[in-house]
Amino acid sequence: MTGPRSREGGDVHEWGPLVGDLAQRKARALGMGGPELVERQHSLGKLTVRERLDLLLDPGTWVEYGLLADHMDPGLGDRYLAADGAVTGVGEIDGRPVAVAAYDFTVMAGSMGKVGEDKIARMRAHALRQRIPMVWLLDSAGARIQSTSGSSFAGAGALFREQVAMSGVVPMVAAMLGHCAAGTAYIPALADFVPMVKGTSSMALGGRHLVKAAVGEDVTEEEMGGSAVHTRVSGVADLEVADDAECLRVVRRYLGFFPAHNGERPPVRATTDPVDRRVEELYGIVPTAPRRAYDVRKVVAAVADDHEVFWIKPEWARNIVTGLVRIGGQPVGVLANQPMVLGGALDVNAADKAARFVWLCDAFNIPLVFLHDVPGFIVGSAVEKQGIIRHGAKMLFAISEATVPKISVVMRKSYGAGYFVMNGLAYEADYIVAWPTAEIAVMGPDGAVNIIHRKTLAAIEDDDARAQKRLELAEEIRRNIDPYVAAGHAQLDDVIDPADTRLAIARGLRISADKRVDRPPRKHGVLPV
Amino acid sequence: MAEIRAEITANVWQVVVEEGQMVAEGDEICILESMKMEIPVVTEVPGVVRELHVAPEQTVQEGDLIAVIDEA
Repeated sequence: MTGPRSREGGDVHEWGPLVGDLAQRKARALGMGGPELVERQHSLGKLTVRERLDLLLDPGTWVEYGLLADHMDPGLGDRYLAADGAVTGVGEIDGRPVAVAAYDFTVMAGSMGKVGEDKIARMRAHALRQRIPMVWLLDSAGARIQSTSGSSFAGAGALFREQVAMSGVVPMVAAMLGHCAAGTAYIPALADFVPMVKGTSSMALGGRHLVKAAVGEDVTEEEMGGSAVHTRVSGVADLEVADDAECLRVVRRYLGFFPAHNGERPPVRATTDPVDRRVEELYGIVPTAPRRAYDVRKVVAAVADDHEVFWIKPEWARNIVTGLVRIGGQPVGVLANQPMVLGGALDVNAADKAARFVWLCDAFNIPLVFLHDVPGFIVGSAVEKQGIIRHGAKMLFAISEATVPKISVVMRKSYGAGYFVMNGLAYEADYIVAWPTAEIAVMGPDGAVNIIHRKTLAAIEDDDARAQKRLELAEEIRRNIDPYVAAGHAQLDDVIDPADTRLAIARGLRISADKRVDRPPRKHGVLPV
Repeated sequence: MAEIRAEITANVWQVVVEEGQMVAEGDEICILESMKMEIPVVTEVPGVVRELHVAPEQTVQEGDLIAVIDEA
């Protein structure tokens, strides 16, 4: 930068040139990678980092740290890298502060340089000290190999350890707004919530060129780690969004459910939707015929304030649905089995999705609501090879550990370990109610009859007679699978009219609002994963 | 051509369509029976049912081909 720098002799109040020079430096930094690269960013369907910040934050709240940063790397010579490719600062979302680290793809492909990473480290420290959420806007090719290709790498990596230390203390969001590889793919993996823009974003441990060189696979970023992969197949990301603008709206909405940190309660919002609203549409949604499927998402929406649900991982492990809703203005995490997919039976991915969601809500004092309609965990050799026992154990672990208020509504089936992991009575359910259609048992009558009466049935030689006997015996078992038997043992707190489900949940939340649970001190349990 | 495969080991309870029939996105192809539940198998694409590989009372394993839809 050239500018009048003479400060000796002459006028003693010659401020004009100095202030002008400062303004020029700031304007240059705000110009990012220059008009051509900004144009290219737009032509890819992406917004610039500055446009993204405008959409993410309340107007006029942005306080930037390190706008005047540059790479300071002698190896890169005279080249100017605006803000060193990483824009950092603090702004507000709905009047509440958040720390932001936003990679600028127009500056050397958003690569992670030394100065930029120092700036982001400062934001992590700030977020932790102030106990405020941290948001990453990721659009970065990963490490700046030009500067870090040697063994000075041995000292690197603190960013991930620090992120782990933040986990469960302050909310962390990583918005995927570009093709991210390696370093910038682990940041989202360690964050709580990861929305991905369809078509323009991806994440992969190795980028396209590295993959070609290392394993010989010829694959595009999109095929390898696009939103279709991570929101439907791998489960690494939480939500697919159409474009940058929707992504930033979604981040704002998500954070609206969360407290600033784990020592606070989530923010309660005023609502005009009465908690005692009768939900009579449930009669039309849920069939009383126990084997008939329906879309449980309609049930979740029906009981939520204003029918609004913020779904988490809606396209992955669809046999269980997880979403954030409000009931009486109070943020609540809902888990519900989805009879439309795999009959609502639990598999390894469903257990992972549920465990992760429970840990998320429990970390930030968001009460949990469980809507049961689960025939159990899928059985058979296929799922055993996938390790369903350890995945099921993970879900048991998460539910058992959670100390937030836990409300259970047994709508229809709730069998075996499925009943436990959906927060049965023994899992410190604060209020557990059932519909008249509820079936709670170790297993269904058709399975049980073959075990209990195996010898009786084997002794009948005639096939038709045996089938007839099997039906009769199953019917006998079925008669004992009755919510009024469970209620008779006081193992259900109440049997309710389905139309009163919203009211029952609201009551449960009120009753358990000041819940305290004491456990023996330990470093941490030994988690099944 | 879109292949529809079983997502779970199950008995085939009902086959709802016939070969050559037009189907719309979300239409049921067949209904499986597994884990005490009727599990509808639907097509995610509209088109013509080109091949049907299941019949009632048959057993399918996870990943078995159920039908092929010729996309409209």
